[in-house]
Amino acid sequence: MQTLKHIGIIALNTFRESIRDKILYNIGLLAIGLAFFSIVLGEWSVFDRAYVIKSTTLSVMSLSGLLISIFVGISLVQKEIQRRTVLTLLSKPISRATFIVGKYFGLLAVVAVHLTLLTLIYYAILFLTNSQPTVSLLTAIYLIFWEMAVVIAIALLFSSFSSTILSALFTLGVYFAGHLSNQLLEQIRFASRMGEMGDTSTALLEKVAVVIHAVFPGLYRYNVTSYVVHGLALPDMYLFWNTVYAIGYVGVFLAIASWWFSRRDFL
Amino acid sequence: MIQIEHLHKTYRSGFLMKPKLALKDVSLHVEPGQIYGFIGPNGAGKSTTIKVLTGLLNFDSGKVLVNGISPRDVKSRRFIGYSPEQPYFYDYLTGRELLQFYGKLVGLEGNLLNERITWALQLLHADKDWIDRRLRSYSKGMMQRVGIAQAILGKPKLLILDEPMSGLDPMGRRDVREAILELNRDGVTIFYSSHLLSDVESISHRVAMIVDGRIVREGTVDDITDSCGIEYHVRTRVAILAKDLPEGVVHAGHPQEVICADDAARDRLLRYCLDNGIAVEKMDHKRPSLEDILTEEIARADA
Repeated sequence: MQTLKHIGIIALNTFRESIRDKILYNIGLLAIGLAFFSIVLGEWSVFDRAYVIKSTTLSVMSLSGLLISIFVGISLVQKEIQRRTVLTLLSKPISRATFIVGKYFGLLAVVAVHLTLLTLIYYAILFLTNSQPTVSLLTAIYLIFWEMAVVIAIALLFSSFSSTILSALFTLGVYFAGHLSNQLLEQIRFASRMGEMGDTSTALLEKVAVVIHAVFPGLYRYNVTSYVVHGLALPDMYLFWNTVYAIGYVGVFLAIASWWFSRRDFL
Repeated sequence: MIQIEHLHKTYRSGFLMKPKLALKDVSLHVEPGQIYGFIGPNGAGKSTTIKVLTGLLNFDSGKVLVNGISPRDVKSRRFIGYSPEQPYFYDYLTGRELLQFYGKLVGLEGNLLNERITWALQLLHADKDWIDRRLRSYSKGMMQRVGIAQAILGKPKLLILDEPMSGLDPMGRRDVREAILELNRDGVTIFYSSHLLSDVESISHRVAMIVDGRIVREGTVDDITDSCGIEYHVRTRVAILAKDLPEGVVHAGHPQEVICADDAARDRLLRYCLDNGIAVEKMDHKRPSLEDILTEEIARADA
């Protein structure tokens, strides 16, 4: 009970710290600007205007959420260490795992608020442009949220033991691997079926792709933009299982980050 | 309250992770109710020892207990209040918001939290309007007071202060010294490091001196200074030639002034004066200060 309370206090402080971060406002304003720009894109595009506005705005939400998750996420722990505020904080009766989890939920709350504000703007744009706003669009935003939940955990994991720049590069690497792993595996299997590669190289590449696919979080699962903008139904229990999947990865990443952070010396 | 036995700590730094032994066989015992001063030059291992006690640093070997609990266990920190050297805090908060944040982390809330904040600020003479300003506008002295205030909010059994008087003006030093004594009267054990040896001499029940990662002296201030013996400065009415000076007696920059290294040298000089009809005009005894002893220990370690 006490631990939950401590997590809440640290999360609240992290939230307060993050919402004062200039980078957050820059990303937020950029996202709002791009969301409105989607109206212009819709007018210019040869495609259906509603389709362009919906898909562009969902992409903006995903991209801005990603930028916040990575750039604010990687600095959360590093800032505490560099400014030496971690010394006073960790001398209180809180474990290092509590610190990591508190930081995580603080930033997750920031991302949730950011996505909520963009959702309101998104629906306002859809209403204003008569672009058939539907409730099903919320499922795409819900999955963007869970994708960001995983990305924040990855950023925290890397920042618990490496520098800010390396953490950003590693997190981006995992993000792209997570998005492309499925495609990579399918391409290699396709090439193999077509006999475009030699047996040995195909077998080796397929093994590598299988490992990447198995180890890295399958973030491609959280991009359902094309389904929802075309009004297609997602498979039954898709949201439930992908929520469980994200929670599982978040748990593992935070556990590793906490373990690593516990071994650190603070000079 | 604090038990450290044969503590060793190595840092690894640089590309090759070259090891550097920061603490070598450090042993200390701090009893409940004591004010324990921890002195030594920069880089001697004071902050390292303190960070081991607060669980911020791991250690290689040895035994460390705080109130009977290992500092690796979070429970040990329920009894501790800690203020680091040159405390840094979240500068987007006001002093009061910061104290509320740390107060909540030690389980305080509502009226009790506000009462404790008022009490801590009064104790440190920090109940001024600046406490409601953002920390980024604070001077070093204000920051130091807020640092100590956050450490005492939870009324800890053990207060660990790393250079609590650094950055304070004379008034600030007096306020902190008085706060330490007041807290100690209420039963709080205090373990602190300081460069200001006159303050350490005036308020500490016991002192440990650390040089180059080793404890070189430990005891009460009197124990430590007595162990070095007392020098006697003697002024005679007529000059004594250097060749006639008894063993252990040397001139002090003037032919009529001599220094006796210890009691035996003093006795030999007085006998010489009596035998030769030399009148003694003045005799002072000088006990070495902690500073003298520390300087001597640093020189010995360098040699």
